[in-house]
Amino acid sequence: MNSDIQISGTQSTPTVRGDWETGCLTMQGDSYPENAFELFDQIIRWIGSFLEQNRLPLRLELQLVYLNTSSVKAMMDIFDLLEDAHRQGRPVSVDWRYHAENERIAELAEEFREDCTFPFAIEPKQATP
Amino acid sequence: MDLLAMRESYQQQRVMLCFNGPISRSLIEEIGNALRNYLDSEQAALSSSMDVFAIYIEMTQNIRHYSRRRQYGERDATATVAVGRDDAGRYTVSAGNLVEADDGRELAKVIEEIGELDKAELKQAYKRQLRQPRDADSTRGAGLGLLDMARKSSLPLQARLQPLPNGQAFFSLTATV
Repeated sequence: MNSDIQISGTQSTPTVRGDWETGCLTMQGDSYPENAFELFDQIIRWIGSFLEQNRLPLRLELQLVYLNTSSVKAMMDIFDLLEDAHRQGRPVSVDWRYHAENERIAELAEEFREDCTFPFAIEPKQATP
Repeated sequence: MDLLAMRESYQQQRVMLCFNGPISRSLIEEIGNALRNYLDSEQAALSSSMDVFAIYIEMTQNIRHYSRRRQYGERDATATVAVGRDDAGRYTVSAGNLVEADDGRELAKVIEEIGELDKAELKQAYKRQLRQPRDADSTRGAGLGLLDMARKSSLPLQARLQPLPNGQAFFSLTATV
């Protein structure tokens, strides 16, 4: 696998887009499927291939709004992959943008960041009116 | 069927929204949607509304996972769900389902243990549970969801187990945001 990944979002699953040429993976929306691994396995595989075959930096741009515990567990696997890559000297980063009023997602992002040593930004953006 | 009596009972118990019956994946989403809209219209604080929604999702998905693990048929794979307010005006989320009596006792024990943890200990336990292998199958499989609910609640989770004559029991859980 050395191509883009594109997954359309639904009410309970995020929109996902991974660009092989630029090394940017975006995920946006809610994530609360019953079994998050059915969805996240392909994302985790894409990240694994990218880190193995591509020499570019990998950047995750997240605009996730709500995650159920099944999705939280899957996201932790993604951050673990990034952490391993970072420890081997690969440039990786996360940029998590959230609506300023949504304190809960900021707290969740903060807890993920506690276990990561690579650049991990958590930034509020202006709420849409 | 006395719908008026049902309605009056719901109003008296300050139930805003409730459901009883076989609960499918798409039904969980639809009721969740209705719940979000309702909380929006009540102008609930976003963090309260996120907590209520999150607890509702974890409770109903736990019930679906359990019914699947026990290979319950349509009749037993049902849930009773109610979202309302308590006397102090706080949101409550309750869900109940049929369980094997032993599973129910085990679950009640886990919830009692969780109830003794303070916020910092809950966070530790949550992070520890997050690191458990994902396919570790046990009646404690619901652990992460329960810890998540407990962290989002302002009071300890309340569990109740009511034995039924056929050896099963009705397990109900209430979280207060």
